[in-house]
Amino acid sequence: MIPAAWTCLLSPLAAALLITLAGTRISRRGAAYLATASVFVSFVAAVVSFAGLLGDSPKQRYHASTLWSWLTAGQLDFGLRIVVDPLSIFMMLVVSGVGMLIVAYSIGYMEGDDEERRYFAYMALFVFSMLLLVQAGNLLILLVGWGLVGLSSYLLIGFWHERPAAIAAAKKAFVMNAIGDATMALALFMLIQRTGSLNFEDVFAQTDQLGGSWAVNLIALGLLGGAVAKSAQLPLHTWLPDAMEGPTPVSALIHAATMVTAGVYLIVRTAPLFEQAPRVLELAAGLGAITLVMAGLIALVQTDIKRVIAYSTMSQIGYMFMAVGLGAFANGEFHLLTHAFFKALLFMAAGLVIHALAGEQDIRKMGGLRRLMPFTFVAFVVGTLSLTGIPPFSGFFSKDSILAAALDHGWYGQLLWIAGMAGTFLTGLYASRLFFIVFWGEPSPFVREHLMASSHAHAREGHASHNGHETHEHAGEGPFSMTATVGLLTVLAAIGGFLQFAEVWTPVSDWLAQVAPPLVEATGVQEAISSVLAVLLGLAGLGIGWSIYGARTSEAPRVAWLQTLLERKFYFDELYDAAFYRPSVWVAHALGRWIERPLVFGSVRELSEGLRELGLGTGRLQTGLVRTYALAIAASLAVVTVVFVAVR
Amino acid sequence: MGPDIVWYLAVATFLFCTGALGVLIRRSPLIVLLSLEIMLNGANLALIAFSRHYAQGDGQIFALTVMAVAASEVVVGLGLIVAIARKKLDLDVDKLSTLRG
Amino acid sequence: MANVLVWAVWVVAAFACLGSGIAVISFTNPFYSALSLIGNLASLAVLYLLLSAEFVAAAQVLVYAGAVMVMFLFVIAYLGGRADAPWAGGPSWQALAAVAASAALFVEVIVVIGLKSSSRLSHQGEIHVSYGRPDEIGRLFLTNHLLAFEITSIVLLIAAVGGVILGSHSREIGAPGAQQ
Repeated sequence: MIPAAWTCLLSPLAAALLITLAGTRISRRGAAYLATASVFVSFVAAVVSFAGLLGDSPKQRYHASTLWSWLTAGQLDFGLRIVVDPLSIFMMLVVSGVGMLIVAYSIGYMEGDDEERRYFAYMALFVFSMLLLVQAGNLLILLVGWGLVGLSSYLLIGFWHERPAAIAAAKKAFVMNAIGDATMALALFMLIQRTGSLNFEDVFAQTDQLGGSWAVNLIALGLLGGAVAKSAQLPLHTWLPDAMEGPTPVSALIHAATMVTAGVYLIVRTAPLFEQAPRVLELAAGLGAITLVMAGLIALVQTDIKRVIAYSTMSQIGYMFMAVGLGAFANGEFHLLTHAFFKALLFMAAGLVIHALAGEQDIRKMGGLRRLMPFTFVAFVVGTLSLTGIPPFSGFFSKDSILAAALDHGWYGQLLWIAGMAGTFLTGLYASRLFFIVFWGEPSPFVREHLMASSHAHAREGHASHNGHETHEHAGEGPFSMTATVGLLTVLAAIGGFLQFAEVWTPVSDWLAQVAPPLVEATGVQEAISSVLAVLLGLAGLGIGWSIYGARTSEAPRVAWLQTLLERKFYFDELYDAAFYRPSVWVAHALGRWIERPLVFGSVRELSEGLRELGLGTGRLQTGLVRTYALAIAASLAVVTVVFVAVR
Repeated sequence: MGPDIVWYLAVATFLFCTGALGVLIRRSPLIVLLSLEIMLNGANLALIAFSRHYAQGDGQIFALTVMAVAASEVVVGLGLIVAIARKKLDLDVDKLSTLRG
Repeated sequence: MANVLVWAVWVVAAFACLGSGIAVISFTNPFYSALSLIGNLASLAVLYLLLSAEFVAAAQVLVYAGAVMVMFLFVIAYLGGRADAPWAGGPSWQALAAVAASAALFVEVIVVIGLKSSSRLSHQGEIHVSYGRPDEIGRLFLTNHLLAFEITSIVLLIAAVGGVILGSHSREIGAPGAQQ
C-alpha cells in the first residue's frame, strides 16, 4: 500500500522529468502518450492503495511513510512524508482519475500545437504537485505541494505566451495565490512555535490545549487565507475568470476539478484545528455563501463560454466552503467529487465546441449546435442538469446534503441556507442560459460558416473514431481521445451521485468519518424539505431560462445599472486596482524620484565628479619646473624635522 | 683639544643650507650642480665629524663613497647640460619644463 | 698653545668655508662660482685634517678639487659664461620661500644640536693611532663595507658609460667646414 502510494505520487514526476530532459528527441505524440500513461499508472496505484486501505479496520486506517528527513533545525525535524488515510485516498482517486481523463482529452485537443511537449510536461508536473499536496504527511510538504500547484497553474495559464492577455492572467493568478501562500506560511510559523511540529498527528494531538485562544484563531485565519486564494473565493477571486486564457483542458483540470478544490481539502484536513476556531469556520462558510451568490449573478451576463463555466466553478466551490465551514466535511468532499465530474465534463464539452468552431469562444456567435453536434449536446445536457442539482444526476445528491446541513447550525446556518437556495435558482438560470444560447434554435451564421461549409460537413453520430489529423471545418465532433473521455465523464456525472444518498446510504461519510467527523447532522425532515425546495428552485431557474433563451417567449429584463454592475464583476478589479496597484506604483515612482535619483544616482555622480576635480587639481601641481619640486622637498624637510624633533 | 664636534656640525649645517638655497634660487643648471656639490660636502663634513666623535672609521668610508657617487653624478649631469647646450636650448631650468601638467 | 693653534686654524678654515659657499651661490659668472667651490673644497680638506681624517682629506683634494672641478671648469669654458642674474628683478615668491625654507632648516638643526650637545655629543671618543690612515680605510672597505665598495665601482662604471652615451652622438654642430 505504501509503495503504491509512492508510485502514485512519483509517476507523473518521472514523466515530467523525462519529457523535459528528452527535449525534441521525443515526438510530440510520444510526450502526450507518456504523460497520459503516467497519470494512468498513478490512478492504478491509487486504486491499489485504496484496496489496501479497505482491508484495514476503520480505526487503523492511517499510515505514514517518510522517505528521508528533509529539514532539520534544532529540535524541529520535517521529513519528506506522505500519509495514506481515507481522506488522502479519496483525493488521490479524484485527482488521478479525473486527471487521467483530462490528460487523455488533451491528446486530441492540443494536437498540432507547436509546444505540445511542454504542455504535457507541465500537466504531468501539475498532477504530481496536486498529488503531493493531497498526500502530504505534514503541513510543510503540503505547503510545498501548494506552491508547486500554483507554479503549474501559472505555467499552464500562460502557456500560449505570445498572447499578452495570457501572460497577464498568469501573473495575476500567481500574485493572488502568493498572498494566500504568505498567510499560510505565517500560520505555519505560529503552529511551529506553539506545537513544535508540523506533522498532522502531533499538531492535532495538541489542539485541545490551543483551544479557543487567539493563537489558534490566527492560525486558522492564516490557513483560511491560503484556502481562499487557492479556491478563488471572495476576496481573492478575481484571478479565476482571467485564468480561462489557458487551454481548455487546463481550465478543466486545474480550475475546476482539482487545484481550486485544494482549499476545501486543506480545511477538511486541518479540521481539528478549525474546530478550535469556530468563528473562523463561520467566516469560511460566510465567504462561501457570498461568493456563491455573487458568482451566480455575474455568470448571468458573461458572453464567453468558458467564463460562464468559470464563474459557475467559483459558485460551486462556494457551496463546498459553506459545507466545510458548517462542519459538514464529508458532504463538502462529496460535492468536490461530483463537481469534479460534471464541471470537467462541462469544460471538456465546451472544449469540443471551441475545437469545432476553430477557437471561437463568444457565445453570441454560437447557436443551434444541437443538431450539428449531438454528442456534445447530450454531454452538455447531463452536465447542466447535474450542475443545477436535478435528480437523478450527481449534483443533486451532493448539493442537497450541504444545504440540509446548513439548517442544523442555528440562525446563521439558516441565513446560509437561504443564500444556498438563491444560488440554486441562479445556477439553474445561468446554466440554462448558456445551454440554450449555444445549442438551441437555428444555427447562427458563424456556425453555418464553420460547420456546414464543406460538402461532407454533415454531423456524424458521436463515437465515430477519427484517427490522425482532423481539420476543424470537416464535421465530426472531434478526435477519439476527446470524445471518448467526454463520454466517460458523462456517464460518471450521470451516475456518480449514487455514491451517497442522504442518510440512507452513506459510504462516503463513513469513509471519511474517521478523519473528519462532521460537526452538523441534518435530520431527515430537514433533508427532505431542503431537497424538494432545491429541486423546485433549480427547475424554476431552468424554466425561466428556457422561456427567455430557448423558446424566446419572454424577454430578459434589462436593468441598466444592474447589467453594468454585473458586467463589471461588482467592480472588484477596479477596487483592487485603486486600492493596491495604484498606491504601489505611486510609491515606486515617489521613491524613484525622491530617494533613488538624488541619493543613489546623485551620490555616485557626486563621487565621480569629486574624483575628477581632485584629479584636475592634483594635475596643477605638475608645473614641470625642477625648482618648484626642489622647493617642495626643502619645505617638507623643514616641517618634518620639526615634527621629528617635537615627537622625540 | 680644538673645537667640539658641535662646531663642526654647525659649519656642516650652514654649508648644507647654503647649498640648498643655491639649488632653489639659481636658474642656470651649472650653478645648480655646483650648489649640489656644496650640499654633499656639507654632509661629508658632518659624517667625518661624527666618525671622529665615535672613534670609528665607518663615517670616513661613507664619506668616500659619497664622493665617488658625487663624481659620477657630476659626470652625468654635465653630460646632460652639454647635450642640452648642443640642442641650442636655453640653459634655464625654468624653461626646461616639458614635463609640465 | 697647541689648542690655540688648533682653534685659530679652525676659525680660518671654517670662515673660508662659509664665505666660499656663499660666494658660489652669489656670483653671476659661473667661472667665479667654480673657483669659489675649489676654495671651499680646500678649506674642507683642512677641516678634515683637523679631524684626523688624513686619507679623506687627501682624497678630497685629489678627486674633488683635482678631477671633478676640472671637469666643471672644462664644461664652463666650453659653454661660455652664460649668466643668469640671481638677484635681479626683486625677490620672487619662490626666492623668498626658498630663503625661508633654508633658514628654517638651519635654525632647526642648530637647535637640535644645541639641545643634544650637553648629553650625547659631549664625550669624544679616544682614537687609536691607525685612525684615518690609508691602511685602516682599506681594511674597512674590504671587510665591513665590501658591498658598498663593489657597488660604488658599479656606479662609477655606469656613470662613465652614461657620460659616453650622452656625449656620443650629434656631430652636426661645430665640425669645421660642415655646412648645415
